[in-house]
Amino acid sequence: MDTTMIISSVVAVIGTLIIAFAVSIWLPGIERKFVHARIQQRVGPPVSSPGFMAPIKFFFKQTLTPNSPMPRLYNALPLISLIIVVFILLAIIPQLYFLGALASIIAVIGLLKVEEIMYMFMGSLSKSVLSVSMPFPDLVKGAKHVNTTRSFIEELSSLRAFRLIAFGSFPLYIALFVPVVMSQSLFIGDIVVYQQLHGPVLFTVAGAIGAVVYFIGFMIFLNEYPFAIMKTRADVIEGPLLEYMSKYRAYTYITRGLLIFVLASLFTTMFLGIPPNIFSPGIMVTVAVAVIFPIAMAVMSTFSPVFTFRQFYPVVAATSILGVLALVAAFL
Amino acid sequence: MDNNNKITDKMIETEVPIGIVHSAAIEPYRVRLFVEDEIIRDAEVTVGVNHRGIERIMEGLPVEKANSLTEKICGICSNSHLWNSCLVAEKGLEIDVPPRAEYIRIIMEELERLHSHMLYLAHGSEVLGHETFAMRLFYIRETAMELLRMIGGNRVQYGASIIGGVRPRCDLNEMRIKKINEGMDYIEEKIAEFADRFMRDPMVMSRISGVAAITRKDARRLATTGPTLRATGIEVDLRRDMEQYEPFEFDVITQDTGDVKANLLMRIFEIPEAVKIIRQAVKDLPDGKITNRSWEMQDTGIIRSYIEVPRGELYHSYSIEDGRVRSSIVRTPSITNVNTMEFACIGTHITDAQLAIVQCDPCFTCTDRAVQIVDHPLKKNKNRI
Repeated sequence: MDTTMIISSVVAVIGTLIIAFAVSIWLPGIERKFVHARIQQRVGPPVSSPGFMAPIKFFFKQTLTPNSPMPRLYNALPLISLIIVVFILLAIIPQLYFLGALASIIAVIGLLKVEEIMYMFMGSLSKSVLSVSMPFPDLVKGAKHVNTTRSFIEELSSLRAFRLIAFGSFPLYIALFVPVVMSQSLFIGDIVVYQQLHGPVLFTVAGAIGAVVYFIGFMIFLNEYPFAIMKTRADVIEGPLLEYMSKYRAYTYITRGLLIFVLASLFTTMFLGIPPNIFSPGIMVTVAVAVIFPIAMAVMSTFSPVFTFRQFYPVVAATSILGVLALVAAFL
Repeated sequence: MDNNNKITDKMIETEVPIGIVHSAAIEPYRVRLFVEDEIIRDAEVTVGVNHRGIERIMEGLPVEKANSLTEKICGICSNSHLWNSCLVAEKGLEIDVPPRAEYIRIIMEELERLHSHMLYLAHGSEVLGHETFAMRLFYIRETAMELLRMIGGNRVQYGASIIGGVRPRCDLNEMRIKKINEGMDYIEEKIAEFADRFMRDPMVMSRISGVAAITRKDARRLATTGPTLRATGIEVDLRRDMEQYEPFEFDVITQDTGDVKANLLMRIFEIPEAVKIIRQAVKDLPDGKITNRSWEMQDTGIIRSYIEVPRGELYHSYSIEDGRVRSSIVRTPSITNVNTMEFACIGTHITDAQLAIVQCDPCFTCTDRAVQIVDHPLKKNKNRI
């Protein structure tokens, strides 16, 4: 590898990362301003507010110690989460395919799993004052049950995050294996090459079904309505993220925006054979998908209630079965 | 379970306390949910943390002033409180209210029922996670709010009723009647559209069917009141017994299942009935004066009055001594429904806890008038209120 090539690759990776960050900061705003607000016939926030201005604002807020048994670890989790998402993006950038196993679907799935586990840790380490510390006399005469073991609301979120890891994210992972089966390779590079030779996986029967399954999995992974089981009504809206403040909250905002972009990029890579690369015009397709996905997601979420497990289990089961069908079709 | 059919502490895996002050609870009340693998085995709703002592303040005030104060009890059914406290005085002092004033009071009350029911539906939708429904319902509700503002001059505290009738500013002229009719057309059309959309939505229906169901037997046992009672199939509506409602034809809506779905549908179907009453009242509005001022203040014993308000049965009572209020008691529907709220939670998933409580249409702000005796070590007079 000569120096020019190394410099070119470094520029490509950095440039793609910059594009990813630049696009991702607008995605939450597009989702809320142009879809939620329009459908609900209200003005909505400025498009820059949820993804761009809010993190900036939070970076300049005062940091307080969260109500957690391990505040430093708790605060470190959003940053770790952000780094993991960046690594997922790096794994699918063509200039880094030389990393071999690290640029394979197994590595991507592993990193996605770690990303999921973060929410479990966040939930178990968050102990907000909203749930327990209020000084109220539960021992008053007539109280139903005295001296009971109390749970923090975020602990429930942690349990739900565990259930999401256990079965909720099945559809996303099953869908990711459709292109793998068709290209008969676990390496991202091979999957891209296969599609350049045989056409995008999306335009096959298996690929089309897989894409639908991937999209539902995408919504579940992002814990978006109606699949927002990680957040109970009592959690207010944030669930395990409830206690984050200042820059740590900013990291969670940035992570969510970037995760939308990364999952969209993963889709274009796996189903269209277009990996994110600043030197390729295909980056426009990636950006377009990164905009279309949250818009479609917002349309679905605006017209649906939040599922409880009663609705969530059958939907995941049905989507997973659809995913298995796609896999069978891919084998054929 | 122990011998008294009560769940013992040993059964409880963990407790999830919510509130007193919690963003999900909206109003200050405390819910203790005793859960086992996210299924609620027992629940406790505690109110009484936002005591404002309205009855205490009412003690010794001139009757008119005390009546005005009752309007401040609630921000949703302020008219109901004022109307009922005026009814107490009118009953005790045997005051005849002019028919035109009675009709205007009915219009105000039914407009209040409209906006309260739409608020309930919007709140219920919001707890369901369906923000779009909530937003749309708030838009429809605006019409009722604006009509109330047009008649009463305010969007929350209308101050319409006075002893012997209604205030002169609340009289209805041709322009106001036209606006009310237009408003009713709009609400009727939009609510029909909403009902159609709501009932056709399979996701919403699957989310609310069979959740937090209350049987007729339990509803009777728990002294449930209002639409929550009617949602279990029991046809009880105090409006049927109120002489003020005698001229009007309307149906008492009931549902059978007593679950969240039945409660939401109850309010949806009660809206056209309220519209029907308003239309009749506007159409047959009698001529004549709107206030009877020919009465004299005198001492009375304790007078009681029950009326049907949007959330159920509202009770007001007081006696009059030297033109001042004594022994005032107010009981709002929500206080009688607290037991139902607790009961509705049992057996539901923890995610549905808020929904189970919300289905009883609670209004804790107006319910919180309990007195707590605080023992303060630094004060000589240890028992203070």
